Amino acid sequence: MNALEVKNLTKTFDKIIAVDDASFEVPEGSIFGLIGRNGAGKTTTIRMMMNIYIPDSGEVLLRGNKVDHLFKDKVGYLPEERGLYKKSKVMDILLYFAELKGKKGKGVQKKAEEYLERFELLDRKNSKIEDLSKGNQQKLQFISTILHDPEFIILDEPFSGLDPINTNLLKEIILDLKKQGKVIIFSTHLMDFAEKMCDHIAMIDHGKIILKGSLSEIKSKYAQENISLNYEGDISFLNSHPLVQKIEDFGNTTGIKITDASKTQELLKLLVDNNVNVKKFDANDITLHEIFISLAGKVEGEQLTAGVTNV
Amino acid sequence: MFSLDKTITVIKRELKDKLLSKTFVLMTLLLPIFMFGILGFQTFLLTRDTDEGTKIEVVAENQDLLENIRSSFLERTFIKNNYYQVAYSQKNRAEFDEFLDEKRPELLSGNLTGIIYLPNSSLENKEAEYYSKNPNNQALFDKVRGMVNNALVNTYFKDRNLSPEEVKFAGLRAGFNTYRISEGKEAEEEGYGNLIASFLFTFLLYFSLIFLGTMMMRAVVEEKTSKIVEVLLSSCSSKDLMTGKILGTGITGVLQMFIWLLPVILVITTSIFTLPQDFNLKISMGMIGYFLINYFLGLLTFLGLFATVGAIFDNEQDAQSGLWPIMMLIMIPFFIAITAQNNPDSALIQVASFVPFSSIIVMPARLTLVDVPFWQLLGAVVINLATFVGIFILAGKIYRVGILRTGKKPSWAEVVKWFKYQY
Repeated sequence: MNALEVKNLTKTFDKIIAVDDASFEVPEGSIFGLIGRNGAGKTTTIRMMMNIYIPDSGEVLLRGNKVDHLFKDKVGYLPEERGLYKKSKVMDILLYFAELKGKKGKGVQKKAEEYLERFELLDRKNSKIEDLSKGNQQKLQFISTILHDPEFIILDEPFSGLDPINTNLLKEIILDLKKQGKVIIFSTHLMDFAEKMCDHIAMIDHGKIILKGSLSEIKSKYAQENISLNYEGDISFLNSHPLVQKIEDFGNTTGIKITDASKTQELLKLLVDNNVNVKKFDANDITLHEIFISLAGKVEGEQLTAGVTNV
Repeated sequence: MFSLDKTITVIKRELKDKLLSKTFVLMTLLLPIFMFGILGFQTFLLTRDTDEGTKIEVVAENQDLLENIRSSFLERTFIKNNYYQVAYSQKNRAEFDEFLDEKRPELLSGNLTGIIYLPNSSLENKEAEYYSKNPNNQALFDKVRGMVNNALVNTYFKDRNLSPEEVKFAGLRAGFNTYRISEGKEAEEEGYGNLIASFLFTFLLYFSLIFLGTMMMRAVVEEKTSKIVEVLLSSCSSKDLMTGKILGTGITGVLQMFIWLLPVILVITTSIFTLPQDFNLKISMGMIGYFLINYFLGLLTFLGLFATVGAIFDNEQDAQSGLWPIMMLIMIPFFIAITAQNNPDSALIQVASFVPFSSIIVMPARLTLVDVPFWQLLGAVVINLATFVGIFILAGKIYRVGILRTGKKPSWAEVVKWFKYQY
């Protein structure tokens, strides 16, 4: 069952199409990644999902019903560019954000203290925000995102600027939240990260969804026709071979896309026959990054003129 | 999409944030001190004689006139105390011209402040002559005008068999004692009290509209640049946020104004303070009530405008430079209200007390000085209310687009386009 369904969302700013007919589904209980480079339309899509922007056309369905302003109370949103009232005190700001989400009282305060303790910030609860380090401010902002116990957690580049210890802490908490049945939506341009955490993704480029679905399915589909190869020798003979659609150099590995997924063994034989020293031949592995480059790289050539601005 | 709970949450935060802030406490306490300080300083400057050591020569063509001047000068303390040093001499026109040439170096060096010459013609037209490096010395004229006038009158009537009382009467200046006529009451003698109150009200309005407005604008710019607004909008609509901020600041402002007006309220409702007759206040609690309601509406309207400017720009410098249209809306009425003190019933004042925006500042000034019919007050409130609603709708549209925009400073034409946006 899908927790959220995004259907044919389109948003135009001053004749620039920021999001173009985007559709994807976020399944219940999943960690979902909205992936794309900066300016691809991630933030605009998220803003439409949260009812901050009204879409030109299309709709967002929450368990089958159109989202309304009540949805805002069920969402915790951590924007990429973070900010808090500098002059406010830690506890005050946590309680203010929770109250805006409709949660107030002793319970929230107790929970806030629990989270502060977990993030080792409890002794700072009466400090002013401006006296906290940047890392601590980020932790605080994350607490404010989840304090009101939202069903949906939308995180925009949540790990940027965190040190390794806090990154782990945050990962732990995110997995915790997943276990509690929360739906977690990441928006990120870091493919490695999405690959490690997400189980469903949608890839957005120039406002269009270019790929979506379960990560494992996507990977196995692309892996079969994409071979990652480590070798010594000369493979230039493959450039014009009918079996090969495309060769890409990713640095450490070379990606070879073949025309027919059932002919991987033929390619291996071809390499061996041509005296190429094969170090690694993996027909079952492809990184999200490779998939993205192979899809978005292509799209870019066609659509260079249609610039998208992040508003 | 409007949510009352969320608006109230924002209002509560604004109140807590503002009422407990150092700036608010300081402003509330310091402004009255500052204002009374200015008033006191001005009075001090006016009453203190800064012209100690003034040295003048009084020359008259007529001996009798000279003697009269000498005697009336000598009655005055500032002459007796040698505050002014005065020399007296009698000279005809030719002698005076020579004398003037002789004294020129002294006049130029400033050792001699000036020479007053009373030719015989002054006994016909009361025109004296004054020669000095600085001939427009109003303070000196104010001091000696009465005495010169008396001397001229005394000399003129000397041989006409008039009693001293008659001569004294002739020397008096005409004065006006002012009475206010209002419905249902007897004519009451009016002091300067209301004139001062009118100035006070005008100044307070002007000052706090700009002060709170600028504060509002800064807060919006801060939320925008620090990206807090993105978190806020994931929790409430831009309308909730704007309404909450404006109402929160509006309530703060009215509270502050109430504190500032407390002395006035105490004066008119209790006998703890009594004012000298000259400063008698003719202000009712109804007027204070009207003033506060008017201020609240005006404040909300202007806060809406200031918030809009804050939302359009993403840094304070740009925002400051975008403020001028709003400043005009406050400053022009301010100057009109100041002129109301000359003639509060002029056509300009009457019209300005109904025009949107200017009504907010001009009507209270007018009401303090003359009786304004109730329907007119009501009319002004209705007009202000309508202005507020209009501005609120307009500001809301710009605000919701503006607060999520960053980057290039938008042109006014672009801002106009925002009205049409479906956000």
